[in-house]
Amino acid sequence: MNKIKKFFNKDNTVGYVFAFPFIFGFLCFSLIPMFTSFIYSFTDVSLMNMNSDIPFVGLDKYAKLISDNIFRKSLGITLKYVFISVPLKLAFALLVAFLLTRKSKMVTLYRSLYYVPSLVGGSIAVALVWKQIFARRGLINTVLADLSLHTVNWFGDQKLALYPLILMSVWQFGSSMIIFAAGLKEIPQSYYEAAMIDGANGFQRFFKITLPCLSPIVLYNLIMQTISAFMAFTQAFVITAGGPNNGTMMYALYVYNQAFKYNDMGYACAMSWVMLIVMSIITLVIFKTSKMWVFSEADS
Amino acid sequence: MKKKLVALLMAATLVLSLTACGKTEDTASNNDSSSKTNTSSTTNNTSSNDASKKADEKITLRMAWWGSQTRHDRTVQVIEMYEKAHPNVDIEYEFFSFDDYFTKLKTLVASDQVWDIFQLGGNFPDYVSKIYYLDGFVKDGTIDTSKIGDAYLNITRDTEGNLVGLSNGLNTYGIAYDVDMFKNAGVELPTSTWTWDDYAAAARKIAKATGHFGTSSFTSSEFNAGCSVYIGQQGSLGQYGFFNVGLTGMGFDDPQMLTGYIQMRADLIKEGASPDAGAEMEITNIENDFLVTGEAGMTWVAVNQFPTIYDACAKNGRTLALATLPRVTKDGNSGSVIQSSQMLCVSQDSQHKKEAAQFISWFQNSTECNNVLLGERGIPINEDVRTALMANATAGQQIMYDYVTLVGTFKTPEKVNVTSPAGQDQVVDLYRNYIQQVVSGEITAAQAADLTYAAAEKLFK
Repeated sequence: MNKIKKFFNKDNTVGYVFAFPFIFGFLCFSLIPMFTSFIYSFTDVSLMNMNSDIPFVGLDKYAKLISDNIFRKSLGITLKYVFISVPLKLAFALLVAFLLTRKSKMVTLYRSLYYVPSLVGGSIAVALVWKQIFARRGLINTVLADLSLHTVNWFGDQKLALYPLILMSVWQFGSSMIIFAAGLKEIPQSYYEAAMIDGANGFQRFFKITLPCLSPIVLYNLIMQTISAFMAFTQAFVITAGGPNNGTMMYALYVYNQAFKYNDMGYACAMSWVMLIVMSIITLVIFKTSKMWVFSEADS
Repeated sequence: MKKKLVALLMAATLVLSLTACGKTEDTASNNDSSSKTNTSSTTNNTSSNDASKKADEKITLRMAWWGSQTRHDRTVQVIEMYEKAHPNVDIEYEFFSFDDYFTKLKTLVASDQVWDIFQLGGNFPDYVSKIYYLDGFVKDGTIDTSKIGDAYLNITRDTEGNLVGLSNGLNTYGIAYDVDMFKNAGVELPTSTWTWDDYAAAARKIAKATGHFGTSSFTSSEFNAGCSVYIGQQGSLGQYGFFNVGLTGMGFDDPQMLTGYIQMRADLIKEGASPDAGAEMEITNIENDFLVTGEAGMTWVAVNQFPTIYDACAKNGRTLALATLPRVTKDGNSGSVIQSSQMLCVSQDSQHKKEAAQFISWFQNSTECNNVLLGERGIPINEDVRTALMANATAGQQIMYDYVTLVGTFKTPEKVNVTSPAGQDQVVDLYRNYIQQVVSGEITAAQAADLTYAAAEKLFK
């Protein structure tokens, strides 16, 4: 009896018990499916034949990628989406976080307000609202028409259709903003006081003190947002369904189409693994280059 | 020991049900719901998997369909009617839009949990592994086909002759148009022999006169209702089809037969006479099609959809009419065929196949039920039901009935194929994308035709 009691009171046991929900979820919904998808990527599996014998096709699915134009196009579009939306989103988040560091009673309220878009962010409802705003007769075009400007066919033009989607992602800057705000608070006030005595103006203080001190947090946000931008799906699925002319065919959407619409789960799995490699390379590049711009107090 | 007991029970119930069947044959040939509970509960025991199951045991049937809000409302209403008449049956239903329905269905196929009763259309070959053929139920009388002509049963048979489902109704494609928009734009009203050139000219004129679209889009269904019809209209009667009759290959050899159609579609989109890809996304179902919202002069419909949009437009003081699909040449083939709109199938995964079949039989044969459904899924295949509905047809329904009669008089080839091969979804997406590329000038219509043909051909390799 005593032994059991002792066992339950051990730090490790308590830790594992509390971590169990995560461990369970990670195993069942991440690790095992990942492992399965790796095996599936060498087979001709689909939702239709999952319960019968699955033909093994070796590297066929990966070979098919090379000749698939839509795959290449979707990869290009996703990269474009990542390279435009992530820096914009971070810049915006930092700006708002910086403005909200002032000591004012309203700051908490504003911070919560700016966080709201991120709370509802990935939802279908917001995507539908966005679709309406940029529709042919939507809010934006009505305003443009009222100002007697040319209306813009946002989702009908393959060169333009991606930008409303990027804008939607930038608009959901809340979570990065909160992290930036926390980082800003950590910067000692004495640095600014010293700089002010030396006669530094606002810009100088921002670029010489705030930004370097914040750079580890910028790195963290950059990596997290890059990874989540690669997985963008909802906007493209709901607003444009990948069109026009696959101009908004995000990688995740194409994977979804292959798996659930075109019945080629094996191909979708192969695509997912290619995406993992691309994401890993980009994350690695960010990490490697980070040494040049991330400032850590230990070095200096 | 256990086996013996089951066999004994089976034998006993068999004898019981034989006598029961004998009795019912004289009293009620038509399975109307009041007399049914008794007879069906006895027959239940003979063929259901579990012979010792009690007749009054509560069972749950899962059912799903796609469609418009009208269809959802009416179907839910008849399900409640059925549950009231059969207290032992509880029907759990789900409904979806067309695309979401098939995504959900595919995940259910993978997990062996397909709904007991589910709706399928011409794309059933994709799901044939999950369909429980109904021939047995027709033979043993579970499904009453006494008022359904053989021709109507044959429209839901696969190429091997198995009865894959019971058709919800007859259907065919047509062009719905706004009469006043045509008149105001000074365009002649369509005749039953109008051509695609007339159609394109009308669309252009309407677009020019009203600033709206001349013709709306039928999104992904346009492939079946336009592109593949265009192929069937060429050559002699029955010479070509998009796919061959046995669904084993292409039904035509020269990809350039598609060019004219693709060129027309692309031109209309480019000129703003037909919605581009962005505007198309605003059409989520037939009830917010641009024709219904007053932003287009024409649209494709499956005619069962016509009464719904007719009523919707009538509320706003607009009159819709129905024209036949345009032809390639005035005296050429119509390319139109009367087909099954969609059907209800019983799933292989079902624990209660017999009860599911009973529901399907009631759904198609009960006049009471169809007085609620009102042919929204197509013109009923049961002759009594059809007569009853036609007697009380609304204006929109009358136009639909007349239209189907008219199309029925067109010459059709002896053998036609109205089903689509597995994997057609991807071909349709590629085809629509090629049209967009023609619009943006990336490729020519001739190249788009070649690419579409190649993509379709790949299905059979």
